[in-house]
Amino acid sequence: MSLFKLNPQTAKKLRRFREIKRGYYSFLILAVFLLLSLTGELFINSKALVVSYEGEIFFPTYSAFHPGTDFGLDYQYETNYRQLKQHFTDTGSDNWVLMPPIPYSPFENDASTGIFRPEPPDAAKQHYLGTDTTSRDILARLFFGTRIALVFAIGFMVAVYLIGVAVGCAMGYLGGMFDIISQRLIEIWSNIPFLYMVIIVFSVIPDAFTIFSRILILLGVMVLFSWTSMTYYMRTETYKEKSRDYVAAARVLGASNTRIVFRHILPNVLSTLVTFMPFTIVAAISAITALDFLGFGLPPPTPSLGELLKQGTQTLRTAPWIVMSAFGTLVVLLTLVTFVGEAIRESFDPKKFTLYK
Amino acid sequence: MSVIPLPKKQAESLLRVRDLKMHFPVKEGIFMRTGKYNKAVDGVSLDIAPGETLGLVGESGCGKSTLGRCIARLYQPTAGEISFEGQDIAKLGRKPLMPFRRDIQMIFQDPMESLNSRHTVAQILEEPFQVHKIGNREFRQKRVKELLDLVGLPARSVTRYPFEFSGGQRQRIGIARSIALNPKLIICDEPVSALDVSIQSQILNLLIDLQKEFNLSYLFIAHDLAVVKHISDRIAIMYLGKIVESGVGESIYRTARHPYTQSLISAIPVPDPHHVAHRQILVGDVPSPINPPSGCNFHTRCPQAMEICSTVVPTLSDETQPVSCLLYEASKT
Ligand SMILES: Nc1ncnc2c1ncn2[C@@H]1O[C@H](COP(=O)(O)OP(=O)(O)OP(=O)(O)O)[C@@H](O)[C@H]1O
Ligand code: SF4
Ligand SMILES: [Mg+2]
Repeated sequence: MSLFKLNPQTAKKLRRFREIKRGYYSFLILAVFLLLSLTGELFINSKALVVSYEGEIFFPTYSAFHPGTDFGLDYQYETNYRQLKQHFTDTGSDNWVLMPPIPYSPFENDASTGIFRPEPPDAAKQHYLGTDTTSRDILARLFFGTRIALVFAIGFMVAVYLIGVAVGCAMGYLGGMFDIISQRLIEIWSNIPFLYMVIIVFSVIPDAFTIFSRILILLGVMVLFSWTSMTYYMRTETYKEKSRDYVAAARVLGASNTRIVFRHILPNVLSTLVTFMPFTIVAAISAITALDFLGFGLPPPTPSLGELLKQGTQTLRTAPWIVMSAFGTLVVLLTLVTFVGEAIRESFDPKKFTLYK
Repeated sequence: MSVIPLPKKQAESLLRVRDLKMHFPVKEGIFMRTGKYNKAVDGVSLDIAPGETLGLVGESGCGKSTLGRCIARLYQPTAGEISFEGQDIAKLGRKPLMPFRRDIQMIFQDPMESLNSRHTVAQILEEPFQVHKIGNREFRQKRVKELLDLVGLPARSVTRYPFEFSGGQRQRIGIARSIALNPKLIICDEPVSALDVSIQSQILNLLIDLQKEFNLSYLFIAHDLAVVKHISDRIAIMYLGKIVESGVGESIYRTARHPYTQSLISAIPVPDPHHVAHRQILVGDVPSPINPPSGCNFHTRCPQAMEICSTVVPTLSDETQPVSCLLYEASKT
């Protein structure tokens, strides 16, 4: 409980964070984007938001599959709502379809000519950033690619911090043989080349696995080879806090180890940890983008920034809009997170934080 | 074995320490092998009677804090006996120690360090009761107010954080925490050294008042004689992990016998302008407790050192003012 109680030091840090406008607004933009993107299917989707057919109202976005026959069409497969809309307008019926602002799914090949090829941005077709080499809407892929990258990075950060904090704290607190042996093991572990491991794991995952479980495996491998760096900080900080007199005072009172760790040491150590978080996110986004670029990242057809960058560099002359939009998105995303990181670091800086005033 | 005797009137001791040793292993090399030991406390014996204050004086690094922390069982001593009310607690684990934790408390040198800066005064002062599962919320809150009153802080301090107080006030919070469980013995590890001189006497007076009210015993640690003079019934002088001389309060000033005690006393500034300063300035650095000098470990700096001092180890004599020096052992034989 005391872990999250807002004490005046924390309140002061938050106030200072809000005063650093650049970081604060970057944080707001990212937070709003993340919240909106959780319901991103409402803005970017090949499924209609609302269909009114024969006096009945349908909301296909999150509902189950509607075969074309539901709306008086002659096919059994999933309704093409853009065509349905066109059909209703053409026949001048009372039925209508309300499409999202970007009426394409990131997985859909909208090849008007029947040949998959990149199309330049075209507002009339509502491909605002054009299409990629397999005629998928770039804006849709960027949007969901960014969402996956952010969620992936946050999941990565949480997992890395949980393991790193737990192990590092145990090493610093218990010390002795446990500490020495763990240190040596971690040294060996962190010398295993991460990229090779990812490539090996990537090539042995059976194709039968679902996309979601393959993403989880990739996350697992990345976490497995990244948590060790957290332990260095946690170990020394825990060791430092442990030898301070307020811990001795708690021990003289008879406080248990659990109480000392959770009530005294962790709250004091974790406050600094917050300052690392944005930089961990930046690192995770960069790593996953790089892996995607190399083809060892998120399994296709998952939308991803790295995969778009790769396409873009291959079609630099013929379809420059691909690389421009992917690169632009990546730069904006990383810049925003870095701004947040700088602001947090500045507002939490222990050197600026004077106790006597 | 020689022991610092108690004043005659107090027959029974509350705390009895015998031949206590705390040797810290010194880690070396990449495999952290233990080759040498830092003999921070090397055979200390002492007694403290109920309601008594024993002052412990010595230079920085001589092992005063280590001795105090062994008695408060922050450390598990390497060897020796620590008897509290007749029971040896030197080797007890956490669970069996719990009842003694209520009886033996500690006040630290730097209150900013010894108070968790993320906790309010209420959280700090309720912790003793929470740890020992004493009373409900209301009882604890009532006791916290009482404790604040005892140490002279306003009741509205409860919602404040340590950094909102002055150094002296912070030490009062530390004192309040130490008396929360009605202890019998408090280890005061240089409780005023970190404070302004103007505030030191206020804190000392508070400690004296609390002692009278609750019949507390103190082990009062300080690095110079001037501070312990007023508060101590008896004073023990420590050098390199050993007690070299001890005696009743004021008398040790007049009849100091150990060359080290004499040099400490001559270092106290005297306000009398007619007093002819006969200062015995100690030369040289304090030797390392990892490689203490042979024989009498003071012989490297002793102004009266004799030839045998580097080979023969003196022992604390069995007198009313025990001393550990070959000058006096020789005169006896
Ligand atoms: N936890 C520990 N581990 C290893 N060595 C220690 C530890 N605590 C103290 N020492 C060593 O023991 C010796 C005595 O230290 P101690 O802190 O007891 O001295 P002190 O008399 O209290 O000095 P001061 O006046 O500076 O507080 C020193 O050499 C110190 O380095
Ligand atoms: S024993 Fe010798 S060296 Fe030690 S204090 Fe006495 S005279 Fe000095
Ligand atoms: Mg000390």
